[in-house]
Amino acid sequence: MVGLPYDCLANPLGAVRLTFEKAVASGSDPATLDGKDWGAAELFRQFLFDDDGLSQVPMLNQSTIKWVQPNTLVRFRGMIQDMLGNEYYVGAYKDGNMWRTNKFADTSRSPMDASSDMRIWERRLLYCVPIPGQNSWVESSHEAVRNPYTNSISPQREKRQREDDATMADVDMVEPGHDLEDSPNPKKMREDGMALEPLGLQKIAAEGNLSTLSLVPDAERNSLPCLVKIYDSTESDLKLNDVFEFVGIFTFDPDFTVDRDDNDELADNFCEDTLVCLPPTKVPRLHCVVHRKLAGADFLSGPQLELTPCVIKEVREALLGHLTAVLGNDRVAAQYMLLHLLSRVHARIDSIAVGKLSLNLTCFNKESISVFGNHLKLAMENLLPFTQCLPLTVDYLNTVSLAPKKDYHTNRLESGVLQLAEGTHLTIDETSLQTGTLNSVGCENARVLKNMMDSQKVEYDFTYYKMEMAADVQLLILSEGKSNILPADLVLPLRPSSVDSALGVDGEMLKAWRWYLATMKSLPHSIEPHMQKAVEDDLVAARQADRSLGSQDFSRWLTMGRLMSVSFGETCLSMEHWQMVRELERLRKERLLGNM
Amino acid sequence: MASDSSPANIHGGPSSPDDWATSPISNTVSSPGDPRRPKRGRRSSYATPSPLPSDARFATPDATPTPSGGNSRPRGRGRRPSGTPTAAATPSSTDDAPMSSEAGDGDDDEAPPMYVWGTNISVQDVNAAILRFLRHFRENPQQIEGKYMRIINHVIEVEGDSLDVDAHDVFDYDNDLYAKMVRYPLEVLAIFDIVLMDMVSRINPLFEKHIQARIFNLKSSTSMRNLNPSDVEKMVSLKGMIIRCSSIIPEIREAVFRCLVCGYYSDPIVVDRGRIDEPTTCGKQECLSKNSMTLVHNRCRFADKQVVRLQETPDEIPEGGTPHTVSLLMHDKLVDAGKPGDRVEVTGIYRAMSVRVGQTQRTVKSIFKTYIDCLHLKNTDKSRMHVEDPMETDNGASRNDNESTLDEDKVEQLKELSKQPDIYERLTQSLAPNIWELDDVKKGLLCQLFGGNALKLPSGASFRGDINILLVGDPGTSKSQLLQYIHKLSPRGIYTSGRGSSAVGLTAYVAKDPETGETVLESGALVLSDRGICCIDEFDKMSDNARSMLHEVMEQQTVSIAKAGIIASLNARTSVLACANPIGSRYNPRLSVIDNIHLPPTLLSRFDLIYLILDKADEQMDRRLAKHIVALHFEDPDNSEQDVIDLQTLTAYISYARKHIHPQLSDEAAEELTRGYVEMRRRGNFPGSSKKVITATPRQIESLIRLSEALARIRFSQLVEKRDVAEAFRLLEVAMQQSATDHSTGTIDMDLITTGVSASERMRRENLVSTTRNIIMEKMQLGGPSTRLLELLEELKKQSNGAEIHLSDLRNALASLSTEGFVVVHGDSVKRV
Repeated sequence: MVGLPYDCLANPLGAVRLTFEKAVASGSDPATLDGKDWGAAELFRQFLFDDDGLSQVPMLNQSTIKWVQPNTLVRFRGMIQDMLGNEYYVGAYKDGNMWRTNKFADTSRSPMDASSDMRIWERRLLYCVPIPGQNSWVESSHEAVRNPYTNSISPQREKRQREDDATMADVDMVEPGHDLEDSPNPKKMREDGMALEPLGLQKIAAEGNLSTLSLVPDAERNSLPCLVKIYDSTESDLKLNDVFEFVGIFTFDPDFTVDRDDNDELADNFCEDTLVCLPPTKVPRLHCVVHRKLAGADFLSGPQLELTPCVIKEVREALLGHLTAVLGNDRVAAQYMLLHLLSRVHARIDSIAVGKLSLNLTCFNKESISVFGNHLKLAMENLLPFTQCLPLTVDYLNTVSLAPKKDYHTNRLESGVLQLAEGTHLTIDETSLQTGTLNSVGCENARVLKNMMDSQKVEYDFTYYKMEMAADVQLLILSEGKSNILPADLVLPLRPSSVDSALGVDGEMLKAWRWYLATMKSLPHSIEPHMQKAVEDDLVAARQADRSLGSQDFSRWLTMGRLMSVSFGETCLSMEHWQMVRELERLRKERLLGNM
Repeated sequence: MASDSSPANIHGGPSSPDDWATSPISNTVSSPGDPRRPKRGRRSSYATPSPLPSDARFATPDATPTPSGGNSRPRGRGRRPSGTPTAAATPSSTDDAPMSSEAGDGDDDEAPPMYVWGTNISVQDVNAAILRFLRHFRENPQQIEGKYMRIINHVIEVEGDSLDVDAHDVFDYDNDLYAKMVRYPLEVLAIFDIVLMDMVSRINPLFEKHIQARIFNLKSSTSMRNLNPSDVEKMVSLKGMIIRCSSIIPEIREAVFRCLVCGYYSDPIVVDRGRIDEPTTCGKQECLSKNSMTLVHNRCRFADKQVVRLQETPDEIPEGGTPHTVSLLMHDKLVDAGKPGDRVEVTGIYRAMSVRVGQTQRTVKSIFKTYIDCLHLKNTDKSRMHVEDPMETDNGASRNDNESTLDEDKVEQLKELSKQPDIYERLTQSLAPNIWELDDVKKGLLCQLFGGNALKLPSGASFRGDINILLVGDPGTSKSQLLQYIHKLSPRGIYTSGRGSSAVGLTAYVAKDPETGETVLESGALVLSDRGICCIDEFDKMSDNARSMLHEVMEQQTVSIAKAGIIASLNARTSVLACANPIGSRYNPRLSVIDNIHLPPTLLSRFDLIYLILDKADEQMDRRLAKHIVALHFEDPDNSEQDVIDLQTLTAYISYARKHIHPQLSDEAAEELTRGYVEMRRRGNFPGSSKKVITATPRQIESLIRLSEALARIRFSQLVEKRDVAEAFRLLEVAMQQSATDHSTGTIDMDLITTGVSASERMRRENLVSTTRNIIMEKMQLGGPSTRLLELLEELKKQSNGAEIHLSDLRNALASLSTEGFVVVHGDSVKRV
């Protein structure tokens, strides 16, 4: 960064301003710019990706929010929970003879003369929350790459600085001198920050949780919502429930008070009700400069393993062994579990979600659920980035709101349990379900769950109509008998033969498995013409032999065939794997018949 | 006044939310530099026919006099800024100072051409254009009086206060004016109002009301998503759904103050930018006491205002997005014009206002809030086909607002479509395109959607036009999907599942109002789907009680209620589309339909078409299925696109046909019907066979008529032709072949449907009885020892050489013999008496 007159990290607005002035000087007319990028994004992109600045950008979360400076560059990872529409702002205005811009800022720094020439531009508001069900290893893995300034800054000093800054921001742009003074700071911290253990950080996170987050209504374990303002992006880029990493300019001002003297009803109606319940004192703002969608592999840490068939096979075998142990030495169940964990919706044709593979493990009783249920839960949490558990009881069904619901009073989408990010694993425990009466909420919830099972879609309640949102959630159901409320693609009675109480797994192994699951899951897949023919023949023959086979069974087999070959790291269905699937299905059928 | 002026406007002063003017017109006045004229003042001036003051409001300082010529425009009514005190009393805000000074210049000038500020639009030109439009626009040249002149007269007669102006008309007459109106609505509408005022006061000088122009039906309607800063201050048209209405806000327009000291009433003070300048001193010369003025509420004038939130309709939301919303500001008449849940089309002016963070803060929050100043609101609901009663086509009322939903282009397009020779096939293909095969079933469903003509005889007897269809089939044959699809398409469909429906839930029930204690009738699904299609899934799983309610509905099309002091007959002119699973979930080909679905024959005969959707053991089919599924999993999904009509068009097509096409039977077709029917009946009489099989009943001929009418409707034909009848016969036969075929003989047997027992079965039973009788006569002595049933069965099997006879058959035969008094059956033994 030598030779640059600005610091992207500590004074991003300075960089924005500089590029803007440069652009204006080089002849682009702000009047016709219409909010489009003038080169600022390019600059940041270069800084973040080419110059590897990304790792220096602090991650915004509950613990870091205490010391991250306003108007600096931060990163935020979250799921888009609600879209709050567009916002018009004064994008460019004339201050005397100089064009200035307000892009990437909440308030204009210099007083805008009412008579001055100005342009209205547009930006999108997204309400983002931390990814629901995110497991702790995911958090700690990005803590590690990050650079905490934390420990050396004493609380007092932090406090003072905050005050300083608040007043500064109020008066004018952060002085360049201030920047210089500030910028070496993070560098120094970074070095000693590396030694910090993830554990310690989590402690901080927990503490942070207690102190500030009690204000935020939906404060969960470590939830820090963030209002992200998006510039220069097409609408189709960002979708509801997508998981993104936003890099942008952070503005958060807990001392900021909104002067609301005109509190009449009309003002309430007009001043976007949404923003009223998300005051800047509680929800930080992020003016997004660069955003990128996160996929499964982005949540992993550590070096990537090489993709050789040999390694894959080894990892697969080890994982299968682990799952077998978890499932009480039931290898068939472990095989199914592996396929289940690799499943994802890869296409939607009409109303059919192709690729889903929900699994219903049956034959649980009170004792076995407490053992295997917990083992399974732990295993899932260790293997997958996002997992959720849903204990299904009559009471729960009658009270919880599963599907998100639009609240027209606040104009917000109220999140439901089933508003989940793509690729989340959901375990539904049906064993504690007793007989009882479902009320209308319960019926609706049961319907929503069933719909999710059938078509991987969740109906969002918009009061006057329902809107179906596509979901991609791996569903695992644990039940005593076959679940009739939630008809899964696969029903498999569990046959545990032993209980392995010590399921010691070392960290390296876990990392490999996580890597394996995340990578294999996203592999593409195809079928050779001759194989297609063979599969078709096989299907026809199977149907001739057994009339009860329907399109659902065929669909399931093909999904399993795909997952089977994917689990070996292959992108093409082979006869061998197809036969394995058929054999597995035969075993399962035997079990089902034996169970009757 | 493009985007460059709007921010100035916004910052000029009207930045607090409460300064929006009550009417869109007054709103226009709030454009930069516009002096606010008191409304009452305006009104009173209009009350007098004098043209001069009437123009005062409009001669705004917006209009900049140009030094160039052109001021010789002979506007009799002198379009010049008037020197009325009010105009002078409310100069524009300080930031618009140059403007107001120009306005002052304007005052001095005699009749300069005035331009809308910041543009080259001449006020006079626009004025003239509007006048021309209102005076001369005719929908067709034959009309003597212009369309709008007629409407204006009408408005005056009914003392209305608004004139709806179709923007299409404006466009047709003068597209330049249209362009200006959309681009600078504030200014053009203000002129529009002036012109209207003027005209009205000429027609009826005593007419006191202020008539406002309400523009609707713009050429292009914007999607809420596409609104962007460049639309600010322009006229836009949006479709959406109202999600929230605020309570009505009384907004003060004029305030009157009274002096507490001397009791002097001040002149009405008009709201200026949301603020009322309270006089600090008494206006009376004698008094002049300070701070003595107090507001007199009941002498102030208020106007209604309402804030409504509009949300995108679900179909406009892209995948993975949430609906956008926009605020609407409603005034006067528009208040409460829409309720939450209504789908509306709104025409209005898109506006933005800045948000002030607070008075004390120096930093201006650089954010704008946007809203739409609503000019016109129209209720729409296009998602479903429009319902219209084929039976009661009220000639007078048929031309109501419904007609506007299908504009002429669309109708032409539909007619064009109907002329295609393969329209029937194409519609069939377009119906649930993702369900493949089942073409005949889809054709039947198509007929159901179009429906036949209902007939009401003068004697009071009525024949239904609705076609009822039953789908019976194996699980997993996409019956439910078909049902769902039809439900989505049908005009007023209710979808219920048999298992969850009770008799009262389907028909109607009487409830006590908890507050008043009155008994009220609540409609059930069938009544609610009057003139629509009631889809009942899992028909077989319905309770008998509930099913029996359907008898009346399906033939008489009414629901009769007699309980709790209410005796009523409700209309339930609904088509029933039901689907059922066979008993034991899989269809048993050895049993008849009746045995398979276990529905009472009385009910079954009320279905016009009964389709069996069977999962046949057919290798070809299996292969196709396998191929389909393999392709589903491994190929790109988009190569299967077919040439199908989209849902919207299909809906429009069907509703248009249902509404406008009422086909009559041609003589030829009638003949064909008779001939075909006789032939069908005759088919039952096999030459040389004693058994009589009924292959058709009068119910079938009714069904046939309905079907052929529906088929004619599909072609938009007013005449039922021979080919329609032929196709109707084919459809019926296909359906019957599936359902009414007697599996033991392979012929169609209506007895199966009507009594549940086929003729051949009856014959077989009779034969069995006589054989049994013979055996017993031969083998057993009168009063002799009893014989075991199984022995008898053995004997029977021997005699009937190989025909399969079950014990139950024998029991049945013996039962009938014992009623004759021929034998006595005791448990397992038979004794001849």
